Amino acid sequence: MSKKPNENSEASSRRDFFKKAAVSVTALAGTSLFASGTSSSKDDPAIMHHPKWGQKLGDPVTKNRYGIPSAYEHNNIRRNTKLLASGNFQASIAVCPIHESEGIITPNGLFFSRSHGGTAHIDPNEYRFMINGLVEKEIVMTLDELKRYPSVTRTHFIECPANGGQEWRGPQFNSLQFAKGFMSSAEWTGVYIKDIIKDLGVKKEALWMLAEGSDNSEMGRTVPMDKVLDDAMLVWAQNGEALRPEQGYPVRLLLPGWEGNLCVKWVKRLEFAREPFYAKEETAKYTDLKPTGKAIQHFYANEVNSTVTHPSPEKPWANQNLKKGDLVEIQGLAWSGMGTITGVDFSLDGGRTYKKANLKGLVLPKSWTRWSYMHVYDGKPLLLTSRAMDDAGYIQPTIDQETSIMGVEAVYHRNAVETWEVTKEGKVNHVQIRS
Amino acid sequence: MFKLDRKLKTLAISVLFALSANAADYISSHTYDFNGKKVIDGGVYYSIVNGKTGPYYVNKNVDKYSYKGNWRLATKNEVAAWDKDVTPTQHPPKGHGTVEEGEELYEAQCVMCHGDFGSGGGGYPSLSKGNAYKLHKSLKNQRYPDPEADGPQRVFGTYWPDASTMWWYIQSGMPHPNTKSLSDNQTYALTAYMLYINELRVDGEVAGDDFELNQDNFLKIEMPNKHGFEPVIDGPAGQENARKYFNNWKNFGTPKVKPSKRCMKNCQKKTAKVVRIPEGGGIKDFLPPISVVRDIPKKEGAFDPKAAYGDTCAACHSGFLSPGSADWAGYTGKGMDKVLANAISGTAGGMPAKGGNADLTDKQIKMIIDFMVSGK
Repeated sequence: MSKKPNENSEASSRRDFFKKAAVSVTALAGTSLFASGTSSSKDDPAIMHHPKWGQKLGDPVTKNRYGIPSAYEHNNIRRNTKLLASGNFQASIAVCPIHESEGIITPNGLFFSRSHGGTAHIDPNEYRFMINGLVEKEIVMTLDELKRYPSVTRTHFIECPANGGQEWRGPQFNSLQFAKGFMSSAEWTGVYIKDIIKDLGVKKEALWMLAEGSDNSEMGRTVPMDKVLDDAMLVWAQNGEALRPEQGYPVRLLLPGWEGNLCVKWVKRLEFAREPFYAKEETAKYTDLKPTGKAIQHFYANEVNSTVTHPSPEKPWANQNLKKGDLVEIQGLAWSGMGTITGVDFSLDGGRTYKKANLKGLVLPKSWTRWSYMHVYDGKPLLLTSRAMDDAGYIQPTIDQETSIMGVEAVYHRNAVETWEVTKEGKVNHVQIRS
Repeated sequence: MFKLDRKLKTLAISVLFALSANAADYISSHTYDFNGKKVIDGGVYYSIVNGKTGPYYVNKNVDKYSYKGNWRLATKNEVAAWDKDVTPTQHPPKGHGTVEEGEELYEAQCVMCHGDFGSGGGGYPSLSKGNAYKLHKSLKNQRYPDPEADGPQRVFGTYWPDASTMWWYIQSGMPHPNTKSLSDNQTYALTAYMLYINELRVDGEVAGDDFELNQDNFLKIEMPNKHGFEPVIDGPAGQENARKYFNNWKNFGTPKVKPSKRCMKNCQKKTAKVVRIPEGGGIKDFLPPISVVRDIPKKEGAFDPKAAYGDTCAACHSGFLSPGSADWAGYTGKGMDKVLANAISGTAGGMPAKGGNADLTDKQIKMIIDFMVSGK
């Protein structure tokens, strides 16, 4: 400000003009108007005014040294229900908001979380890992020593086999998050167990491996040797960073495609043995009771499955201002723990007739796979059903087909086709098509 | 020879793949390379072909080295400290405990969750529903089409195949808030109590209130559902039984169909109809309630002037006029009211009104100024 106002009358009158303009802007809710001339009701105020974030300084880069989502995204969170708790929220599950998920990777903070004695918080400096039993060399390792093995990075979903297990007798959850959100997907980094044991002299009679957690519940499960020699991993990273405590920090077992419960978290010990272990979560739970009265045990792989994710009961078309004739993308997920998704069929009439949907993006073994179907919205009620296939040759059953073999008391491994009813108002309801 | 076999197999797989129009892009096989057997879960295996398994390149040199420096041998004591599993073939250690002792422990440490006589409650698992042998028959019960029918009773006595699981569970995972706190004898006593409340037989006699369990009679517990599970995984054929079972889809109900033969029309039974969640029914006690709204939740708790300084003021005021700085003396002399007015309205020197953050109230600005001038 080198000149005083009264030194230049022209400048002075311009200043007066801006002062007046400033007053009128203040009247307009404190935002500044930058378009002049007549306003139109077609003009979007979100465009016609500078938004406040466009004028004031943003956060310094020093804020949030570990980044967090936009404050506006506070509803994109894991949720739980008392009905899925064994008395408390330590032996319980928080499910993944798959109705808000995009692509085939779950952000680490949204990965579904299931534990049997609460989330353990392990000091990585005191973490020890042991291999014992039918091996020539019984060994122990620190975390740093484990991480010295050549690493492997793989993208796999992990699914609780009880995903959808509340709905054998009929639909229960009018929610995608609760109906299918007992699963998530990540890129995992760790080491193949077969690369560790090749130096340890595993004895020929070893047919089984116990994996045991170091948490309060010492969650343990028996794994057949063939999975160990195929693709069983010990992982210490998910999506490029250390495992989250809820996922077993610092190390969990990953058995690609198999029951989430088998992917023992906070794993501290592997024991090789001649006979299976009959741990608490492999007879009392995680067994599928059939109408014969016999139950399937060691039900390893999560079979081929799929769901419609867009629309969903949480995010129906009713909220999307669709008009007749609009083209809308129906989207979903398909996955198989037995192989790679080879195709998805899609139905508008509850699985009576199918057309081929398109796969999109990366299609990886034992991984979430995105599919898409372009639909011309006509305002009529619909029954949206998807059906996936994998390269092992399996296809999703109808509910009638699945229950004819499994009955309705199996709890786990329910993978029959699922249906969203779209009403003429565009609301979406979870229904089932069954006899 | 092995290498040649492998090459031929790979070639055969490749040819198969080429013939199958609907296969995935990756070369897969229903048998493992390493033992030539079918994949145990009924799925596929991705051999290493052209340096890749499925879509992933494989580090070929991994096999060449050994990694002996990555571990040390465990001591006997270390293995003994951690290897505590009790299984049908690895029996519990020596010890004993009575039903009476077990009941006393149960009343003190277990009843608050598992209820009187293991009846359950509050969502915690039931440990008994009554006579195990009678209720074992309920395992064939199905709650469909009548949802009000009696369901199968899956508790320790009726469902679990082995008592070893209970002994191991109690010692490793119970009591829930304070695990691994029970002695061997206490574990025997609580297991004895479990037998008692389920009216289970040991060596031909029902465990009564005077029963004592020990390492010897532990092996004579008569579990009604011992043979209630399939496939049979015990013995040398255990893995092979599992392999056979899971390679027959009729055992678990996910059909295997050639893609070209899959149903595209009339794929539902004629009797199939739309079943909705009953009005007022279903499960909906979601925590927190479902919402997909994008907004800023109302902040609760007190305003933090220090944090607000960091967000709004520190960009300029971390050097000049920083919190607690001596520079303030040149301004506060004109009175704090003047300092506050400048902060609220801005100054000709370049300070924007409210530091550029119009969301801050005048009262909050005052709190920030107080913090900046005093430094605390």
